Amino acid sequence: MPAVFLAPATILIVLFFLIPVVTTIGLSLTDISTMTFREPKWVGIANYRELAGDPFIGKIMGNTARYVIFTLLFNVGMGLLLALLSTSVRERYGGQVRALWLLPRILPAVVYVFIWQGLTREAPFGLVSDVLGVSRNWISASPWTVIILANGLVGASFGMLLFTSAIRAIPHDLFYAAAVDGATTAQTVRRVVLPMLTWPIMFVTAYQTLSLLTSFEYILLLTDGGPGFYTTTVWALHAYKLALSNYFGNVQFGLGAAMAAVLVVIGILVSLLYLRIFNFRALVTEPKVEVN
Amino acid sequence: MPLLPPRWRTVLLVLLIVTVPIAAGMAWLFLTGVFNRVHGLIPVRPPSLANWRFIWEGVGGRPLVHVALLNSLVFAVVVAAIEVVVASMAAYAISRMSFPGRRFYLGLVLVLHAFPAVSLIIAIFYILRLLGLFDTLTGVILVKASLELPLGIWLMKGFFDNLSWEMEMAALVDGMSRWPLFWKVALPLVRPGLLALGTFALLSAWGEFILPFTLIVSSQKTLMSNFLQTFLSEGYADFGMVAAVGVVYALPVVVIFLVGQRYLLNIYGGGVKG
Amino acid sequence: MKGIAVRLEGLSKHFGKVVALASLDLDIRAGEMVAFLGPSGCGKTTTLLMIAGIYQPTAGAIYFADRRVEHLHPRDRDVGMVFQSYALYPHLSLFENIAFPLRLKKMGGNELAAKVRQTAELLGIANLLERRPGQVSGGQQQRAALARALVKEPQVLLLDEPLSNLDAQVRLQARSEIRRLQLDIGVTSVLVTHDQAEALAMADRVAVFSTGELQQFAPPDELYSRPANLFVAGFVGHPPMNLIGGAFSDGVFASDDLRLPLPSPVAPGRGTLGVRPEDFVMGGPVRGRVVVVEALGRQVLITVDVGGRMLKVVSDTRPSPGSMVALGVDPVRLHLFDGAGRRVEAAP
Repeated sequence: MPAVFLAPATILIVLFFLIPVVTTIGLSLTDISTMTFREPKWVGIANYRELAGDPFIGKIMGNTARYVIFTLLFNVGMGLLLALLSTSVRERYGGQVRALWLLPRILPAVVYVFIWQGLTREAPFGLVSDVLGVSRNWISASPWTVIILANGLVGASFGMLLFTSAIRAIPHDLFYAAAVDGATTAQTVRRVVLPMLTWPIMFVTAYQTLSLLTSFEYILLLTDGGPGFYTTTVWALHAYKLALSNYFGNVQFGLGAAMAAVLVVIGILVSLLYLRIFNFRALVTEPKVEVN
Repeated sequence: MPLLPPRWRTVLLVLLIVTVPIAAGMAWLFLTGVFNRVHGLIPVRPPSLANWRFIWEGVGGRPLVHVALLNSLVFAVVVAAIEVVVASMAAYAISRMSFPGRRFYLGLVLVLHAFPAVSLIIAIFYILRLLGLFDTLTGVILVKASLELPLGIWLMKGFFDNLSWEMEMAALVDGMSRWPLFWKVALPLVRPGLLALGTFALLSAWGEFILPFTLIVSSQKTLMSNFLQTFLSEGYADFGMVAAVGVVYALPVVVIFLVGQRYLLNIYGGGVKG
Repeated sequence: MKGIAVRLEGLSKHFGKVVALASLDLDIRAGEMVAFLGPSGCGKTTTLLMIAGIYQPTAGAIYFADRRVEHLHPRDRDVGMVFQSYALYPHLSLFENIAFPLRLKKMGGNELAAKVRQTAELLGIANLLERRPGQVSGGQQQRAALARALVKEPQVLLLDEPLSNLDAQVRLQARSEIRRLQLDIGVTSVLVTHDQAEALAMADRVAVFSTGELQQFAPPDELYSRPANLFVAGFVGHPPMNLIGGAFSDGVFASDDLRLPLPSPVAPGRGTLGVRPEDFVMGGPVRGRVVVVEALGRQVLITVDVGGRMLKVVSDTRPSPGSMVALGVDPVRLHLFDGAGRRVEAAP
């Protein structure tokens, strides 16, 4: 009977998670490309060697590090700021501000990117140029700033929501006691609120690091890795383009798969690590009905 | 915090200032769509119907927009439906049934939940071609629904965990078997969860870009996200019309947002990815 | 440490349409321990939180000595407070918890450590200072909470149901310890509780509240022997006073077939007679049938059916259920209440 309930989910998971994981690694060990699509040849780790020797691989890794670190800083920092500020005002207003910060996340990605394009145009059209008094196409002029802010505005809401729940879970008496003890708001935040947020902050940082390492959708739409040669290309984007775009003429599927495989392996290892650290045991209790 | 700081209104001001970019962006979209030429946020031309011509004529060799809209609607609704049904069934089993490998299955779901599914897109492309599902709506629907499953199962498991055991015991003693119990007793009791997951899946599928971009090629099967993106990738001059397309695409999301802000905050406070 | 006088003038608190506290006037003397007593929702905690500054009054004034404080933030009032849940910071050691108010005042290391240890010793937890709240017992947590409240030598000490989370054993001990401490230190204290025994045992004077209104403010003895109205009469004293409705006339209280002589003439009319279970004696004009006999140790609590009314009697002798008994009361021990529930004093 449990099998009946689990069957559809299991089939889909096997088909679109487990098999692709194996396939990614498998494909990375072949020379599959547009030409050899029907008859790929086994080449072992040749793709990986080629990657290691690629002159641009250093730049791509640097880009990826830059993207992950700075976006993470924004995500966690902004999320924390929003959570603290929005819980320090009347809940009616705080709730509405938090809701507004959900918009970047629920808006379709293409629309969201289009709005960024519109706002960062040259004067007199682009609001940013108008406000700053300097007319530029900001996506070409400072692509990293735009990429980090655009991803950050979406990513900050994750931390914001988690930190807000954590703040609301602090028993009210602790706040009253701190007030009676003589704490100012700043002291209360530093000594009562932040210590209770250490765990959520660690969780958000860990979770979003993995997530950022493998995301490339907004970068693809905003700059497509440009504006120059690999200026903003991150690892995941390069993998995608190698395998799936006509940029290089002969699509090098196997090579792209190799880059993806690196991400997949990192992803599995880190996910398993999370399970360890973030307390899996607590979530599993035996059911009270043993018949099915 | 239960005791507001004395100068909370200043705090609110800071919050609003920080939030201005989002409001500005939304305003820009609607203004540009309606007025066609906008300097910053100030319209400089009267409202133009030309922006909206994509509704009745195919622009630049594209199909009519209602094709993309219909495809997106079908995509979103079917994905949400599959998601809700498949995830609830699996979540019910994990939460309420006893079977060997239960802990392992739950562990697997948790790992997949944290795992960045987008890294598998290359392999998925290959697999769909093998299965003959490449460039089909069915293919993308199955992929999208599957990649959202770990989150869905996780969310529904939480809801099922909160049901009282007495109810199941009573139904079983009364002679009901698990399958009808699930459909007639358990599911109605987790309706809020189903609605939450359904809304989440709907919104996620409506905005989905990279999957259809990669896995669909024919213009008759294009989704709104691809439709809009084709405008973006041209060297275009017509911001007004593209904005109008954007408004049409974003409208359902904005309406849901305005009507159900509080509700959305609750859902997204639950299981959020990325 | 010297306490200061606290005065509440016309103090009231509304939450929307709900009146949590109607206008309250109360004078608390310097160094006194006052208990706010009443059932849930009576306004006692609301009043306490207004004295602390956590709630702002809807109207009225609060004076600490001669200073008006009702608009001051809690941190500017120099009060110490012990919460029902203790509100100890889980991530800090007991030492750091107690030191918290001093650290906020930027007190120096040596002076701070000395004060913390001194206060901890006063409360008998000096050897537990390195532990965290989760690592000590409930009673020890409560003493740590008390230490934190006292370490800054406050003008006023507020206690919100400090004993209700303790085991029954520990509670009795803690009761006398807190009282002894308060007398030694001399700090003006306000204790909120729903337990009348606790209030009577610990306080110099007790303020009894019901649905937002003060019923009586008097020393424990007076509450017990001369309750001002039916509410106080029924709330103070355990087992609760027997309250019998009837009529006063010609020096006698009559209720159906029950008649009891009054100590002196009283204005005729409807009213209520109150008799404490422990004031009944065996032998007298009231006849009834024993329904239940409950053991209290040396004494028994008898429920007697007198003409359909169930009266509670505390007695040394042990009649058997079903038997008939005759009860009497010394007229001096009768409590008389008029038709509006107010105490009627019998002329001496």
